[in-house]
Amino acid sequence: MSVTAPIPRVGGLRRALYAVRGRAYPRVVGAMREPSWLFYDIVLPLLGAVAFVFVYRALGAPPRFTGYVIMGGATLAFWMNVMWNMAAQFYWEKHQGNLELYLAAPCGLVPILLGMAAGGLLGTSVRAVVVVLTGALLFQAPLPVSSWPAFAAIVVLGLVALYGLGMVFSSLFLLWGREAWHTVQLLQEPVYLVSGFYFPVRALGPWVGMVASLIPITLALDGLRQVMFPGVHPALAPLAWEVGGLAVLAVLFTVLALRVLRLMERLARREGRLSFRW
Amino acid sequence: MPPPSGLAGALRAVRMGAWLGWQVQANWTDPLLFFIYSIARPLGGALILVFMFTVVAGGRRGPMLDFFLVGAALWPYVVWTMQGLGWAVLEEREHFKMIRYVYTAPIPFWAFLVGRGLSMALTGLVPMVLTLLFGVVALALPLVFSPARAAYALAACLLGLVGLVAMGLLLVGVVFLISGEAWRLPEAVGAALYLLSGAIFPVTVLPGWLQGLARVVPVTWWLEAMRRALLPVGHPRSFPALDDGMVLALLGLTVALAALAGGLVYQAGLWSARRRGILDAETHY
Repeated sequence: MSVTAPIPRVGGLRRALYAVRGRAYPRVVGAMREPSWLFYDIVLPLLGAVAFVFVYRALGAPPRFTGYVIMGGATLAFWMNVMWNMAAQFYWEKHQGNLELYLAAPCGLVPILLGMAAGGLLGTSVRAVVVVLTGALLFQAPLPVSSWPAFAAIVVLGLVALYGLGMVFSSLFLLWGREAWHTVQLLQEPVYLVSGFYFPVRALGPWVGMVASLIPITLALDGLRQVMFPGVHPALAPLAWEVGGLAVLAVLFTVLALRVLRLMERLARREGRLSFRW
Repeated sequence: MPPPSGLAGALRAVRMGAWLGWQVQANWTDPLLFFIYSIARPLGGALILVFMFTVVAGGRRGPMLDFFLVGAALWPYVVWTMQGLGWAVLEEREHFKMIRYVYTAPIPFWAFLVGRGLSMALTGLVPMVLTLLFGVVALALPLVFSPARAAYALAACLLGLVGLVAMGLLLVGVVFLISGEAWRLPEAVGAALYLLSGAIFPVTVLPGWLQGLARVVPVTWWLEAMRRALLPVGHPRSFPALDDGMVLALLGLTVALAALAGGLVYQAGLWSARRRGILDAETHY
């Protein structure tokens, strides 16, 4: 006779939501159990962003440039979350032997990835809020918002597109070994450069800006700066175009992620790379 | 044959650690791709500063741009050397799971870690030189060469390397005690030093109390000494009131203090980690 109650089986969306919650849980609990991350994951990187504020101060730049840096620093937290905690995570999971368990689970990889993203959002959001508060309180960075609906639309569409892109990258990390770590490194300063994290992206020229717009953060940051500094921010494109572009990227990367994840999983199984750790 | 002990044993462990570090860093791909990966990030960082300067200055050139460029070029060497030691512990503990075997091997553990850091220093030299070359060719960076300045730069480099390794050991002492998510710490400390050391702007821009902190960090003095060695007289300085000899002397003093602090924190961290049984504890969320 069984002494344990049978586990109820669920399917469809409910199962996916269970998987999201299940993967997010250890990240949230981990953050609570070891609060030291608040120091080395928020305070110390914040000092890195502050360094760019002092660069503009050394140049005697107008106050809105401080606002540029603060918005860039806040957005950077999301890019780091997507690249380290989502895209590259499959590489770490290989090392820990969890990837095989994820593939054997009856929920698919997408809910697992969404769980990673949701779990990491706690730390990411705290970091972004701390950056904005520091900018506003310590440096008196001007952070006005001329249109909250436009601001909210850009943030939501930008996040959907960004996490979709993260899922596309994660499919590549199913195949990769040690190059994963180096690739994430490669996608830091060069991306901060072409996406205009610390200066208006239009300074790179319209063509570079257009190509860089494939990275959702480029359009999101430029759009947010247009909403915050209307009339003075040298925009890459009209605001409506940028919001439309973000909507297109959100749909494109979501659909692409679903397809590419299946394709790469099949490829990784065929080439025996799912448990290939180095 | 018994393994060499004392200084000879330590030097052998440094050499083997450096060799292993180089293999870990470089043998995952072909040399060309490794080269591209090595320079993309530092060059990207330098170009960010160039464009920040350009949008404010409206396309005009100025000596502050040279200050930015030299700082951005030197930074990978600074940060990779220091982080190399911290990452070595994290890699051996969390990913390769070899730390217990390395620690119990008949070699000085610190010397192995220093070797791993030196391999990163070697890797950091390439982007440093290439970013300076890029500055000279593409942005008319006015580097100055003379025997006296070369000797000054060499002395600063040697002292700076000792200081960076000492700071790396200090970092390692902390990493020993952080069992979860510690892989972010070396990067985060690098970000903090980016602000404190005047890497990309003169320290004089910082508020007074931060300037005080900047003065006890050897990296601040090393960057100042290197800028004095490479850039013409009259360019912006972090410590305009001090002469070149005083800057070098203060670099030596802060390096000595960092070596003392690094040794103490490393020993304390190691002792505490062993006592708590977490030297090889892996944690993942």
